[in-house]
Amino acid sequence: QCPKKWKKMFCTLCNSKNHSRERCPSIWRVYVVKEDTQKQSLPMHALYCYNCGSKGHFGDDCPKRRSSRVPNEDGSSFSGDNLSQPLK
Amino acid sequence: TLNSDYPWILNHDHSRQKEIADWLTMEIKDFVGYISPNKNEIETRNRTISKIRQAIKQLWPDADLNVFGSYATDLYLPGSDIDCVVISKNSDKENRNSLYSLASHLKKKKLASRVEVIAKARVPIIKFVEPESQIHIDVSFERTNGIEAARLIREWLDDTPGLRELVLIVKQFLHSRRLNNVHTGGLGGFSIICLVFAFLHLHPRIITNEVDPMDNLGVLLIDFFELYGKNFAYDDVSISVSDGKPTYIPKSDWKDLNTRGTFTLAIQDPGDPSNNISRGSFNLRDIKKSFAGAFYLLTNRCFELDMATFKDRLGKSILGDVIKYRGKAR
Ligand SMILES: [Zn+2]
Ligand SMILES: [Zn+2]
Repeated sequence: QCPKKWKKMFCTLCNSKNHSRERCPSIWRVYVVKEDTQKQSLPMHALYCYNCGSKGHFGDDCPKRRSSRVPNEDGSSFSGDNLSQPLK
Repeated sequence: TLNSDYPWILNHDHSRQKEIADWLTMEIKDFVGYISPNKNEIETRNRTISKIRQAIKQLWPDADLNVFGSYATDLYLPGSDIDCVVISKNSDKENRNSLYSLASHLKKKKLASRVEVIAKARVPIIKFVEPESQIHIDVSFERTNGIEAARLIREWLDDTPGLRELVLIVKQFLHSRRLNNVHTGGLGGFSIICLVFAFLHLHPRIITNEVDPMDNLGVLLIDFFELYGKNFAYDDVSISVSDGKPTYIPKSDWKDLNTRGTFTLAIQDPGDPSNNISRGSFNLRDIKKSFAGAFYLLTNRCFELDMATFKDRLGKSILGDVIKYRGKAR
């Protein structure tokens, strides 16, 4: 067993247990949002899944078994969680 | 010093940016500005093409010369070849006799040196260097699909902010890893454009019209490498770019495709839905690995610089080790 496993990891920026504060994706996953937010809507017909190819959901939210063998521990940009508050 | 390795950061220091993603966005714009051709280079290129066009019309009055590929869409790196095609109204010029007569005509007119005639390839071409400008030129014959593709890409560039910038960065990245040559299983220019085009049109923040891609090139570049390096299901999902509306299609729904359940990139040709334009990119394993590597390099660099003091950040590059630019100075 790796001794590091015993040390509890916790991110004080986003409350995740997958990484430490120094390696939080929220350090770089920062978007400059448009001033005019009136036009926002979630066009369900334009959502496609990188994991199964079907319409209506993002890849991170796919109910099917993950196809890629590279792990996605912290979640990616292709997730319902990556939308701004009013759209979630 | 550091600066001579990363010439695009000279006089463009962004180390005091509060958000590391904004610093990366600005550095991407600086790099694109740095590798974009200046007025002299554009004039030299145009003059060279028109000299060769005149010479071809002199030999064959029914023929014309068209430029396609990266030169026609302004998506080229310094020193890349110009792709041209000879189209004629009356007769088919794609035969061995025409290839050799054009080659010797150009040599006689002192418009071509280091001439190679590749007559037996699937697409027969003449490769040469124009002596005055030293530009490398490839000429093929009677094939209009390249011209069609260039027209389509110009439309995409008009309606997709950020496409040009991200394509140039990804091209330079793959070039530095020798993964951009289709002959050795790498990703061709059109495949790279399709990957970036689909990425931008399917990104959650872009489809909801929350962000302007030009203000977010930094985070979008990392998101691109994350998608195609870590998450995309190459075994099960293909990409369609028809009608200017990129979508995914389960490989099982693409009837003519025979790579269902196998680790291959599949991009449907907008001009021929049965054709997979990326079928030559057999080295997908290294391509995916290199994209994941770029994701880790960029994010690690962001973490490192985010913790550093402003003094330690001064004159640093985020992009430098990712794109490893070693081209001629501009
Ligand atoms: Zn965190
Ligand atoms: Zn799915």
